[in-house]
Amino acid sequence: MNTPDPRWERLIAAARQVRDERDTAAPYGFATRVAARAFAAVEPPFSALLARLSWRALGVAALIALASIAVNYSAISSVSSGNAEDDSASIELVNEIVNMS
Amino acid sequence: MADETFDLAGCLERVRRRDQAAARELVDHLYPLVIRIVRAHLPRRVSEEDLAQEIFLKMFTRVEQYKGNVPFTHWVSRIAVTTCIDQLRAQKRRPEFRWADLSENEAEVLDNVLTSERDVAPDDALAAHELVHKLLDQLKPEDRMVVQMLDLEQRSIAEISQLTGWNQSLVKVRAFRARGKLKKLFEELKRKEKS
Repeated sequence: MNTPDPRWERLIAAARQVRDERDTAAPYGFATRVAARAFAAVEPPFSALLARLSWRALGVAALIALASIAVNYSAISSVSSGNAEDDSASIELVNEIVNMS
Repeated sequence: MADETFDLAGCLERVRRRDQAAARELVDHLYPLVIRIVRAHLPRRVSEEDLAQEIFLKMFTRVEQYKGNVPFTHWVSRIAVTTCIDQLRAQKRRPEFRWADLSENEAEVLDNVLTSERDVAPDDALAAHELVHKLLDQLKPEDRMVVQMLDLEQRSIAEISQLTGWNQSLVKVRAFRARGKLKKLFEELKRKEKS
């Protein structure tokens, strides 16, 4: 490391004589304001809150969907058996057309 | 630090549990340390209270990252130093040092320093202090920080390294560069004075 310039040394030696006598205690209310802001700043952001609520909403929606399937199971199964009868009638019709040709 | 009996470890534990009273106690306890750094390295046109607040907010945001490898006061000092450097960097343009901008007393002190080998008179200490800060304004923020701590605050290389988090070789390189720039600046000022 180089030695300081003698002109700088003379100037800085004089500058060192100036003492900072100002009070170093925190101004009234400063700590309260900073503490409040610090904890407000680390609260979860809105997007994180929304994401957490979305997962909860997805779970509830899945439960409702399962419950409605369970409640309406008989109606769903009768519709699907009706569809099966329609399907066999269609197959018979196709067979007849094929045979005629 | 004013209160030697302050239970820092206990206070930090409470702060981590989001205890606002503990956070207030911590700010009050560390304020003298932080404000001394801020006042020593305060950029122009920046309020010292705003800068201190920014430092404390950073401290609370990062408090979970503090692992206890260095004393907590050193850790906070580093946050304070880097925040001051960021503020100095944000100023971008450094004001040009001109004879015309100096007060009569400052110009006289500078003239004496440049032309004679005598020490500056004690009555001119305030003018010398102002001049030193105007000259420091000409340096890069990191170089300024090092030379100010080394020459004005008379800290050791090891101390500066602890306060800034820079290794000792880097501190020496920055001091070398800053002193070289100051030397050039004195030459330039002498030339301008003659002309």
